[in-house]
Amino acid sequence: MSARPVFLDLRRIRFPVGAIASMGHRISGVALAIALPFAVLALQRSLDGDSLALAGWMRIPAALLAWAAAHHLFAGIRHLLMEAGIGSSLPAARRSAYAALIGGAAIALAAFVA
Amino acid sequence: MRLFSGQRAFVLQRLTALVLLAYVAGALLRLALGAPPELAAWRAWAARPAGAALIALLAAALLLHAWVGLRDVVLDYVHPLALRLAVLGAAAAALAFLGLWTALILVSHAL
Amino acid sequence: MRFKVYRFDPESGAKPAFQDYDVRLAPGEHKVLDALVRIKEQDDSLSFRRSCREGVCGSDAMNINGRNRLACITDVTEVPEPVVLAPLPGFPVIRDLVVDMTMFFKHYHEIRPYLVNDEPPPERERLQSPAERERLNGLYECILCACCTGFCPSYWWNPDKFVGPAGLLQAERFITDSRDRDTAGRLAFLDDVYKLYRCRTIMNCTEVCPKGLSPARAIEHIKVQLLKRST
Repeated sequence: MSARPVFLDLRRIRFPVGAIASMGHRISGVALAIALPFAVLALQRSLDGDSLALAGWMRIPAALLAWAAAHHLFAGIRHLLMEAGIGSSLPAARRSAYAALIGGAAIALAAFVA
Repeated sequence: MRLFSGQRAFVLQRLTALVLLAYVAGALLRLALGAPPELAAWRAWAARPAGAALIALLAAALLLHAWVGLRDVVLDYVHPLALRLAVLGAAAAALAFLGLWTALILVSHAL
Repeated sequence: MRFKVYRFDPESGAKPAFQDYDVRLAPGEHKVLDALVRIKEQDDSLSFRRSCREGVCGSDAMNINGRNRLACITDVTEVPEPVVLAPLPGFPVIRDLVVDMTMFFKHYHEIRPYLVNDEPPPERERLQSPAERERLNGLYECILCACCTGFCPSYWWNPDKFVGPAGLLQAERFITDSRDRDTAGRLAFLDDVYKLYRCRTIMNCTEVCPKGLSPARAIEHIKVQLLKRST
């Protein structure tokens, strides 16, 4: 019997807001992990006395990184609270998912215009 | 907890998250109290044992938290056993390298 | 009413594809299942499972316009056209909308969905206080339709190793049953890298349960109990 197909066309699946926040949590986590070497480099440069000024082209990556840090933080706090029993009902979980997504986007915007 | 229990990683992830949260709260508090430190003040603070220890703790919590997170991603998506072990090994090595690098930066700065 | 239905014929060797249908429902026919029956009148080759037609057997769980639902209790007015019908995501497709539930039931069986109590049985019932019986509410009502498990990304990525929301909800049903005597064994079984801890609290399960249950909350309870046991 040949392998049976599996329906997993993610474009045809309508994800709830919690799933979107969760996806963002994972993507932001991986992005932050990739940014770790740059963080260590920045620590070294700051302790060596080198300037930490950001070049012009760094504005967009910096804003993306700010989004990653903010969203990962907010979504992470959301998870910790839900596990402690706070806001784990479906309506509350949806609201906090929106809050995490909007909060992260707001920080990213602020980082971009600052 | 058993050696390869799922609980160990779960608890480590939450514990390091709380440590990192404490740092975020501390940083926000420090920013609320005044302008960020001058580069010279920062360098002097990081050279002292207490300052270096705080940075080292932050690095440890960050690297361990990243490890559990990356391990979760690999366990979800990488299924062939040999490939999974290779990717996990590479990630562990990379994070260990970052930890060692950070430690050496702090030590050489203090000396 | 226009429908796009996932078709797969294992004998033809062709890849799965969506087929368009247009049906008219008679007065008194309000549900997606009614439409499916009408589609089958047009095209007898379409296969789907159905039985009770009132939302208690769980046979007709499928992906309707992107969400897992029971076709018999999904009103056609709730679903914008063209209504896209697909099999439960993540499950091997046997034919059209019929999926292979073997792995799903394997996980159900491995959590031991029965009371473990070797004490001599009392003359009549093993008694429970109303409060103890209360703890089973929200857990015993599961109809094993697999809407939750078929909507769980963690299950999609590891269907063979992650027990899934339905199995874990049933695990909690027996962990919390005051008449059961193997709480320690049940918890120890789940304390594994894959069985329980692939859950990321995405909460897709609770979003789609047609009986309004919360596997996410049940899983939360299991994690708390495991934590209490080891600290």
